[in-house]
Formats: sequence, structure tokens, C-alpha cells
Amino acid sequence: MAERVMSGRITTSTIDAVEHCTQFAAAQAHEAGFSLARVREIELVVEEVVSNICGHSYGGHPGSVELSCERLDGANLALEFIDYGRPFDILALPMPDLAVDLDQRDPGGVGVPMFRALVDHATYRREDLRNILQVIVHAAPKLRSDPAAR
Amino acid sequence: MECKIQTLANVVLIEVEGRIDHGTAPAFGSALLPHVDGCTGETKKLLLDLGAVNYMSSAGLRVVMIAAKGCRKQSGKMVLAALQPTIQEIFKIGRFDMVLDTFATVREALAAISPAALALYDKG
Repeated sequence: MAERVMSGRITTSTIDAVEHCTQFAAAQAHEAGFSLARVREIELVVEEVVSNICGHSYGGHPGSVELSCERLDGANLALEFIDYGRPFDILALPMPDLAVDLDQRDPGGVGVPMFRALVDHATYRREDLRNILQVIVHAAPKLRSDPAAR
Repeated sequence: MECKIQTLANVVLIEVEGRIDHGTAPAFGSALLPHVDGCTGETKKLLLDLGAVNYMSSAGLRVVMIAAKGCRKQSGKMVLAALQPTIQEIFKIGRFDMVLDTFATVREALAAISPAALALYDKG
């Protein structure tokens, strides 16, 4: 069975949840020995998830977001996002049509493909009026990066 | 995030530095989007130098897309230059590379869109 070590948890208000959760996850990944390049990718993941929680789950209304971080066997981190808003599953959001010309492009909609490209595994469940999203990220970066960030 | 803006002939060169995220994207938009006005044909073109941007989330990409769409709507031109490898990868994920013109350097971008601006750039 995989060893799981709880390394931290924060609860934040939606007012500054994106900033606090991003900083928290970056610190956890850095402490776990992840490269700067992968830390930035994890920041992108957390920013997408939390901004979607604030916008979709809470619909822009005040609420709280909890984020916990566990170290798994090997160089992996499990991030668990919990919120108390309406049912919202980021994994069920449709992929936008990115193949259309500039005129037809939706200015937003890049967050979902970015999230999918940067995580290794993700699961969602609705439990006791909570949205619970668990995301597993491995240490290896997904994107090509500058040598200094490796 | 900081933006430095200079005009070279018919090109507005916007040098962006730092991190464009959920928190800084509104300031990025405030710096960039007013320059879309009047960006039509040959009279005024926009060049976004992203060489010093090391982080861009979808919030920043959204601002870039709004500016690009605004320029296109007016038959104007906005190009990007000097994207760091990670930002290039993020552009590929969002397929921005398919709808926006990007160049390896500011000089290459100027050479493509405005010889007059390039001459001024080379003079320093």
C-alpha cells in the first residue's frame, strides 16, 4: 500500500483563495523537492482549480476553500480541494473547440485543457454537500522549460 | 508584473515582465487593451515582448486573446515575440500558436511587421 504523509492543509476564503492556495501548493511542492519548472506547473493547476471553484461552485459568492497536500510514495503529491458550494466537477467541463479561427475563439476556455495537460491523475466526488477534487501530480515536468528552471 | 511601452514608428512595443496570473491579469489588461484602439492596418501595430514573462495562467492568456481578437476585428495586427519555452508550451496547449503570429525575437518580429520600426530599434 502506498505510504501517504500529510504535509499540510489550509482553509481560505474565496476572496484570496487563489493566491493563498497557489502559494501553499508551491511551497509544498518545493519542499518535496520538485523542480522550479514543475512547481510553476502545479501553480497553474491550483490557480485553475481554485478560480473555477470560486466562479462555478460558489458562483462568485463568498465561501471557503480547503486545500490539503500529502506526499505519496516516490516523488508524487496528492492535492485535495474541498469546497461547500453547489455541485461542480471540473473534470466534467467540456473541452473547448480550440481548432476554430481567431474570430470564433472564446477568449477564455484554456483553463480546462491546461489543467488536463498538467496533472497526472484526478478524481472528483460529491460527499456531504462538499465538492472533493483530488489531484495527483508527479515530480516530472510536463512542459518543456528553461534549463534554469529544471 | 510590469509593462514598459514604447513607440517605434507605427509599432507600439509592449515589454512585459514577471508573472501574469489571476492577480496580475487585470493590470496586464489595463496596460495592453487601451493600445488595441486605433490598431488598424498599417497605421498602428502591436508587438508584445514576452521575453521576461516566466508564468502565464489562463487569466493572462484570456487578456492576450481579447487583444488579438480586438485587433483582428479592426483589421489590425498584433504579434508576439521572445516567448520562453514554458510559455510557448502553454500557447500550444491553448492552440494560441495556431491563431497568433509569434517570433523568436523582437527584432525578427519588427522585421516582419515594420521595416521603419526595425530601423529605429536597431539605432537603439
